[in-house]
Amino acid sequence: MADHPPADGWIGASLLRKEDARHLLGHGMFVADIRMPGLQDIAFVRSQMAHANVRQIVKPPEAAASVFTLADLGPIAILEAGPELAAHRHSPYPPLADGRVRYAGQTIAACMAPTRAEAEDLADRVTAELEELPAVVDCVAAMLPDSPRLFEHWPDNAFITGNVTEGDPPALQAAPVRLRRKFRMNRQATVSLECRGVLAYWDHRNDELTVHLSTQGGHVMRIAIAQSLGLPEHKVRVIAPDVGGGFGGKNRIMPEDIAVCAIAMKVGHPVRWIEDRREHLIASVHARDHTYDLTISADRDGTLLGVEGDVYIDAGAYSLWPTGSFMEASMASRNLTGPYRIRHLKLNTFTVATNKAPMGPYRGVARPGACFAIERLVDEVARELGREPFDLRRQNIVTAAELPYRTAAGMRLDTGDYVQALDTARDMIDLPAIRKRQEVGESDGRAIGVGFAFYTEQSGHGTVEWVKRKSRVVPGYESANARMLPDGSVIIHVGVQNHGQGHETTLSQIAAHELSIDPSRIAIKYGDTATAPFGFGTFASRSIVFSGGAVARASRMLIDKLKRIGAHLMQTDPANVRIEGGEVHGPSGSVGFAEIAYAANVRQEHLPAGMDPLLDVTATYEPTETGGVFAYGTHAAVVAVDPDTGTLEILDYVVTEDCGTMINPLIVDGQVQGGIAQGIGTALYEEIPYDEIGQPLATTFGDYMVPCAPEIPTVRMAHIVTPAQATEYGVKGLGEGGAIAPPAVLANAVADAFRKIGASFNETPLTPRRVSEAVARARRARDDAA
Amino acid sequence: MTAITIDLNGVRIADDVEPRQSLADFLRERCGLTATHLGCEHGACGACTVVVDGKATRSCLSLAVMSDGRVVLTLEGLRNDQIMDILRRQFHECHALQCGFCTPGMLIMARDILQRHQSPDANTVRHELSGQICRCTGYANIVKAVVAAGKDLAAAQAHALAGALAEAEALIQAEVQARVDDQVRAQEDAPPKPGTE
Ligand code: FES
Ligand code: FES
Repeated sequence: MADHPPADGWIGASLLRKEDARHLLGHGMFVADIRMPGLQDIAFVRSQMAHANVRQIVKPPEAAASVFTLADLGPIAILEAGPELAAHRHSPYPPLADGRVRYAGQTIAACMAPTRAEAEDLADRVTAELEELPAVVDCVAAMLPDSPRLFEHWPDNAFITGNVTEGDPPALQAAPVRLRRKFRMNRQATVSLECRGVLAYWDHRNDELTVHLSTQGGHVMRIAIAQSLGLPEHKVRVIAPDVGGGFGGKNRIMPEDIAVCAIAMKVGHPVRWIEDRREHLIASVHARDHTYDLTISADRDGTLLGVEGDVYIDAGAYSLWPTGSFMEASMASRNLTGPYRIRHLKLNTFTVATNKAPMGPYRGVARPGACFAIERLVDEVARELGREPFDLRRQNIVTAAELPYRTAAGMRLDTGDYVQALDTARDMIDLPAIRKRQEVGESDGRAIGVGFAFYTEQSGHGTVEWVKRKSRVVPGYESANARMLPDGSVIIHVGVQNHGQGHETTLSQIAAHELSIDPSRIAIKYGDTATAPFGFGTFASRSIVFSGGAVARASRMLIDKLKRIGAHLMQTDPANVRIEGGEVHGPSGSVGFAEIAYAANVRQEHLPAGMDPLLDVTATYEPTETGGVFAYGTHAAVVAVDPDTGTLEILDYVVTEDCGTMINPLIVDGQVQGGIAQGIGTALYEEIPYDEIGQPLATTFGDYMVPCAPEIPTVRMAHIVTPAQATEYGVKGLGEGGAIAPPAVLANAVADAFRKIGASFNETPLTPRRVSEAVARARRARDDAA
Repeated sequence: MTAITIDLNGVRIADDVEPRQSLADFLRERCGLTATHLGCEHGACGACTVVVDGKATRSCLSLAVMSDGRVVLTLEGLRNDQIMDILRRQFHECHALQCGFCTPGMLIMARDILQRHQSPDANTVRHELSGQICRCTGYANIVKAVVAAGKDLAAAQAHALAGALAEAEALIQAEVQARVDDQVRAQEDAPPKPGTE
């Protein structure tokens, strides 16, 4: 955590969070906390096999009416998911199986009963006769011509393939240094602590389907629910109550959501499905699962020249609406140059269907894999050349004078000082002291290693970028509706969702800054399509940029009208007034917002002639540079590793980061620390392996390791503040950044610890077993050579 | 169905429960006490932690019938608890929660830690929290909050102790004075002993 100087206004103030009180008193309201008369629970019958034809579903006769198969749900439109590209193959994903299941855990039937336990009992009594088919579990082998297919009508198992060619890759053949390395970042789950949940019923009074959904973006989910069920959107209301974490995993429409809504339309009472942890691990959004086979080229002087090779994304069995996982491949390849002056690229990308749970977004999307690959490669080149990896980074990184800089893959790195971020991290971690310590050695036999990694985090990217990506939904703006009530207090409805980010606090700080009133006079509302203006929700580090901008604009629109009314009340010209302390000040006196708001709402005879009543405005906002603004940072870590057991302790972890102007530094630090904890999970602990017949092997927290307090150090942070030019206040999004660099920095640190024996650490998570085996392999190779 | 009687948040509850029903489901579904959250339902995350007979207990792993005759406290029942007050304030000031889903379990466990350790240091708190999962915060601020709360609690207790001592001293003083007064009065009132003058 960093020390922050006191701010002199609301922008930059570490205001304590408004959302805390209800949670601290146990009054949070999550989907599973909602009580409704007549509510019944749903449990799903799921496929036990990775790939099978569904021969028959046998319902227990005495409860047949409470068991739903696809045919029982009524007509359901299966939405095409993924980019709007002819080359992207459609993988129809029904809410319940349609005769074929393609991963272990896929929903086959839904069972309804008064309690969850009874619904589960019923699910146990349903028999699904499956005829097993060969499973596709390795995404590289899946692309061989003789591989079994998931979808018969596809020519191979790829959702989509692509290639990126920039510069002059053939010239790289002659490069003096060429290193080929393979990297794997294994599959994991997103693991919000609150699992998914949905509660739906037909609201007769409002004549609409009301859906309480644990989601990151209710408006977009409403589109999918309405289209799937054939309802007009005004007959669907989606409410996201308190949401217990999302991290990307709650930003896709899922089969259970549609099934529960369809059942709610059939039965006369509310129904809900509350996901359990096993379901979450086997059948919620999966993430990462990148395989890289890359060759990096460099000059003898350490100048990095180019990267070539293959990128495989194991995307699981289906594309999740709206965008599927196609962005993984493009974002991975576009980020593979990192922040370096690498001008030649030749990458083949494969987004492959396998018999595993569908892939979706997870904090950092693709960039943890790309950062892992490029930052490991930089260290490998340094080792090859006998250079200090830090120095090689510094030699190749884009300097402040070069910004804005367009990378080989076309991304416009906008503002900042990357060298300063590197140097500050080096000084904080005290690189020379660690090098000395390594020479002395450890008395406990452990090996000490230090690693660095640099990341950039594209945030706030707008219309042009999403259109370029062929996104089915183009989240190129956000909206805010601001209302000043008769007493001068303010309600602002926004289209983003708050599931831990603290928007009730930060967005009210922005409005307080613009309106010159206290944040306690401002309420931020979200999470209900009946009241919120259309918005896309919270993901891709976009909320503070987009929603913050929309709130600023809406506030300014209010100010404009407040000034005009205030001037009228003071019999002066609007040009002569200014705003301060919740009042409009004129040349000879002032009038408070409450008086103006009272006039605007209920005493309109005091308004200027011809002016519409109300202080009620809606604004949308998109930054001026739609390619996005880039937060960035350097992570550095020191680890101590036991060479025989492979266990690892993080001795120190520092980060220097630049997310532009901080609205609330306390919350920024919290996001950085929390992101790093998840990144450490990816780096060291979290994995869902599948066996050769496609069975998931991590199905409880007994075998899926989520790091706890003893595993996560308190990160030491330094902030560089380079305001973005394209956004309000100069903010850059920062929610994901913390999760991007940890796999790279920790793998580099472990590799550094064993650099003398040349052990390589190119697969995450770096479990004790992987580490100890890599050390043993390297020792054997050394002994064989000797 | 099995009849059980529980002292729940200070209220005696008598109910019939299915023998297989977990204490967590009983609290949430039967009693409507939804501060107790379920993050895994297999004893690994600590979100469901409640207090049973004074001990932090995972309500997803214990059955409602096991609580028969016991005293159960959930976060709802700790509104006016001195330690919880301090913890709530420190969690707020240290930004020790983001989505809030782990928070009730964290608070109950933190209270348990502070009852067993006088002013614990960060290492102790980290170790003691090793059974609680938070997916959002990265733990640093939770550890910080619990350490700070431990200090506050120790100070409050020391203050209370000092106050109590001062009070006791004053009482003793008054008592002594009273006795002296009594004696004096007794001497004054007493008829002179024969032959002393
Ligand atoms: S819900 Fe009880 S320990 Fe996770
Ligand atoms: S605050 Fe979200 S799990 Fe802890």
